[in-house]
Parts: sequence; C-alpha cells; structure tokens
Amino acid sequence: MSDARKKYLLSLFSSILMALVIGAVIMAVSGHNPLEGYAVLITGAFGSERSIGNTLYKTAQLCITGIATAVASQGGIFNVGGEGQMYLGAIASCWLGAALNGTSPWLAIPLCLLAAILAGALYAWIPAILKIKLNISEVITTILMNSIAIYFCTYLANGPLKTTEKGIVSGTASLDRAFRFSRLIKGSNLTQTVFMIAVVTLLVWYLMSRTTTGFGMKLTGENSRFARYAGLNAGMLGILGMLISGAMCGMLGMFECFGLQTRFKTDFSNEFYFDGMLVAMIMQYRPLGIILMSFFFGALKIGAVSMQSQTGISSELILIIQSVIIFFMAAQEGLLASLGRHSSARRANRMRGGVKS
Amino acid sequence: MNLGTIFSLSTLLNTVNTSTIVILAALGCLMTDQAGIMCIGIDGMIIIGAFAGAMGSWLCGSWVMGLVFALAAGLLSGLFYGVLVIRYHSDEFIIGVAFNLFAQALTTFLLRTLIGQSGSFHPTTGEVVKIPVLQLGRVGDTQVQISIMVLLAWFLVLAMWVFLYKTPQGFWLHASGEHPESLRSVGRSPEKQRYFASLGCGLLCTLAGAYLSMGYLSTFTENMSASKGYVAVACVIFGRSNPLIVFFATLLFGFIEAAGLRMQGFIDPTLTATFPYVGTILMMVFLALRQRTRRGHRAAK
Repeated sequence: MSDARKKYLLSLFSSILMALVIGAVIMAVSGHNPLEGYAVLITGAFGSERSIGNTLYKTAQLCITGIATAVASQGGIFNVGGEGQMYLGAIASCWLGAALNGTSPWLAIPLCLLAAILAGALYAWIPAILKIKLNISEVITTILMNSIAIYFCTYLANGPLKTTEKGIVSGTASLDRAFRFSRLIKGSNLTQTVFMIAVVTLLVWYLMSRTTTGFGMKLTGENSRFARYAGLNAGMLGILGMLISGAMCGMLGMFECFGLQTRFKTDFSNEFYFDGMLVAMIMQYRPLGIILMSFFFGALKIGAVSMQSQTGISSELILIIQSVIIFFMAAQEGLLASLGRHSSARRANRMRGGVKS
Repeated sequence: MNLGTIFSLSTLLNTVNTSTIVILAALGCLMTDQAGIMCIGIDGMIIIGAFAGAMGSWLCGSWVMGLVFALAAGLLSGLFYGVLVIRYHSDEFIIGVAFNLFAQALTTFLLRTLIGQSGSFHPTTGEVVKIPVLQLGRVGDTQVQISIMVLLAWFLVLAMWVFLYKTPQGFWLHASGEHPESLRSVGRSPEKQRYFASLGCGLLCTLAGAYLSMGYLSTFTENMSASKGYVAVACVIFGRSNPLIVFFATLLFGFIEAAGLRMQGFIDPTLTATFPYVGTILMMVFLALRQRTRRGHRAAK
C-alpha cells in the first residue's frame, strides 16, 4: 500500500470515528443515551430479514448515485443536479410505461429504461454544455435545475399527466402489474432492480478505472488544459461524464417508481441523490471506495429510521454526521500540517542528515 | 391576462420584499468573492439565520433578540467557514456544498428535537414577533408597507459600494483576493482580510435568514431557504461582485418571482415557481454570451 493511501485511510477512519463521537455528543445533549441510540441503529439496520433487505437496497441506491457523482467529477464537472435528473427520468419512464400498458413487458421495460436514460442524460447535458462552452459554474446551474425539475414534474403529475383513476389525488396513471419489479424479500425495499443497479455500477466503475476513456476523463478533470495539449478532446470527455451521470440518475428514478411505487409520485425521492453525493465526496470520488462505503452509510441511513421511531432521535442526525466527516476530510491536509508541523520539521532534519551520510 | 396586473404596485412591493433576502445574502457572498474565497455555503447560512432568528424572537418575545440570535449564529457560521477555508485550506466548493446540507440537516434536527415539531414551526404559546413594518399609506386599494429590513438592505448596498471602492479597508479586502502577496508586502495580512470577509458574509446571510423567518414570513419552515442562496451566488457572478450591479440582478430576480406570483391566476402555480430559477440561469447564460462576444471584439481589434 502506498504511503499516500495509508495516510488517506487513516484520516478517513479517524474522521468517521470523530464524527460518530460528535453524533454521540449530540444525542447525549438532546437527552438520549448515545449507546442505546447506536444499538437501536444497528438492530434497525440488521435486526430482521426485512431490515437487511432495506439496508441492501439503500446500499445499491448509494452506490449508483455515488458513482454517478464520481463519474461526472472524474471529467471535471461537479454534478449537484442528480435529484432533478432522477425526477425527469422517473416521469419520462412512468409516462411512457402507462402509455404502453397492456403490451409485453419485454417491449415496454427496455423502452421505458431508454426513456429514463435519455431524459436524465439530456437534463445533465444542459449544465455540462453551459460549463464547457460558456464556463458557467455547474454547481449553481445544477442545483437550480433541481428545483426546476421537481416543480415541473409536480406540475405534470398534477396537471397534464394526472391519472384519471378515481381516488388518486396526484400522480401519473398506474403502471401495468407486469411492468413492476417484484420484491426479493417480502416487506422490504429490495427489488429485482438491485441486480441492474449492480451491473450498471460495476460497468461504470470499469469504465472509470480500467479504460483509456476513463483515464482521459481523469486527465481532463485534473487539468483540462494539459489534457487538451495531450491531444484529448477535453470538452467531449467532460460532457461524456455528465451524460453518464445523468443517465444513471434517470435510471434510478425509473427503478424507484417501477419497483417501489405503482406510478410516478411527486414525493418518490427524499433527496436520495444527495445521500450518494455525500458518500462520493467523503470517498473523494474513488469508485471502489464509494462501493465499499455505501454499505456502511446504507446501514446508518436505514438504522436511523428505526432509531427515530424507537428513541425519538431525528434521523437527520446521520446527515449531520456525514457532513461533519466531509468537513474533517476536507480540512485534513491543513489539520495534519498544523498538528505535524513540529514533527515534520524534525523528520526533515533527519532526512537531510540521511542524505549527507 | 393583461400586462397591467403584472406591472402593478403590488407586484412592485412583492419584488422589493422577495429580493431583499437575495440582496442581503448576495452582499455577504460578494465580500468573500472580493477576498478570493467565494462562499457557496450561503444557502446554509440563510437557513441557520432563519432558525436562530425565529427561535430568538419566539423565546424572548422581541424581534431585536431574534436579530441578536441570528447575528450570533452568523458570526459562528462565518468563523466556521473561515477557519476551514483560510486556516486549514479546505476546498471552498466542497465546504460550501457540505455546509448547505449540514445546515439543512442541523436546523431540521433542532426543530424536531428541541421543539418536537416537524415541517414547520407552530408555537403553542407566544409567537414569532415580526420585524416592524413601515406603513406608507394607501394607493388605490393597495396598502403600501415596507419592512425596515428592506430599507436596511438598500442602505447596506450603498454602504458596501462606498466601503469597497472608497475606503482603504475595502481596497485591502479586494487586494487580499486579487494580489495577496502584494498586500503582504505592504505589511497587511491577507488572512485577516479574509476572516473579516467570511465573518461579514456570515452576518449578512443570517440577517437575510432572519428577514425570511421574521419579516417575509413569521415562522420557520424546514428547508425554507429554497436554494435562494444559490440564486444570490448567481447574482454575484452576474454582477462581478460590484454591489450596484448585483443589486440590479437581485431586483430582476425578485421581479421574476413576483410576476410569477401574479400570473398564478392564469398559469399553474407549480409552473410559475420555476420562473425565478429559469430566469437566473438565463441571466447567467446572457452574461456569459455577452462576455464572449466582447472578447471576440477585442480579439478582432
């Protein structure tokens, strides 16, 4: 293991530990027993077949959204807009799915998947092209486009695309039963889509770390001018990263609706994309790390839900813990430098001595 | 639909009210931009200010205490951002985006844990005391009233302009972003200027939040900043950190939002809610295109 990686892993684990301690302090201050809180959290994540299923599904969800963030970042674009891309993918596939009701699922599902991918990728293409051609900050455009997409889809689901079925206040027409993905563990959120999520995640991981395209994207993300001098089409590679990212988000939007809902509902997502984005930020966009850590954060997220219902500690605590980890990780270089200034001076002295002898 | 309903006095008042939140936050953001450490985390600072303001006002029964609470939270947020970015050299974008998510989670957590309510804050006893409003009489059937925060925001725009362009302190602040080494060579610390900017940013953004929860509305709602902080960042980029141009951009944003509200009778309200965000993006595209053609002209010469 290289020195840099060892240092990174050390700071990762110490950041996580410190954040969990801060979480415990917050629990204690708000009048709960932190040990009990974390114990309930663990049983909530793994205590029953159902909760294990939920944890696994959350892991898959974090993987696909985390890798989606990472693939765009590798090309140099910070995609904060996955939530909007997910909404558009969801509504496009649900609209098409409802229109194809009655046909064979072998025809309908691939077409819906295509619609979801196209909608998500197209919506990600807009901020990407604005960034590459006009140098407009993608952080601002993507986050504003989240609001636009959510309002727009809400408008569609309550207006032009609203179902005519009786007793349904909002949402598109319901999908044919044959189109819906079935659950692998009864009562849990684990559906067949988990296999597709795994395949897509692994494919994109392969693209990012084992192909020349991925390497070119990495060069572009690190230094686009250098990439251009090296003869790469930096603009194209940046846009490609965003297209893949948007396509993945759109796909997840479809999986959520076809797997867990029966139609497009305006509240199908609870800022799912941001959960994955935080994991990607914590892992500094390393694909393998994201896949591994998704399990940890998936368990935290699912455990937090039962922690909230059993002890009354709000599940938002997990978001606080995650962002605190990011603060520690982002500041680690400076923190280590100021902590180790003294010892590194000593080490430098020793090294100089070593060269002389 | 006739244009009269859009360009009416009440639209104008709405414009003034909604833009004030963005103006105050944008003033804070442009201070950090001048110092070279542009803060994306202002959305989080707004929501923290909104929460602290509403709580202070409710607990103490006075809007002044609400402001004091909000400003104290602002100093803390500004200091937090400053320490991470200036002292520990963290990436501004990562800290900014993470801070926004953190602030959203923290305020929601506190509302649910301390008050035991979720969604929005409905006090069972007492109320969130609002910041006073000036009654300027009636015109036709519209009651003309303006919050004193609106006047304060306008005053601060002018004050910021004078500070940045007419005082040595403003010059130093600008220099700390543009040429930190030259500033150091005349014996001034750029770090000190940057801390000053991030504290100022915290104060102005939480002031914006306090106006949101104690002036524009009189309650705290989870996630009530609704990405307005990002709109403010866009306005700062649009105005290239010049307070007067930024002010114009925020008014434009406020007008689009207010006009959207007026059009709700004709167009679905969820659709008009997208207008301010679409408008902000178009504004940035317009600016970028204009800059590009300018550069093209210069190259042709």
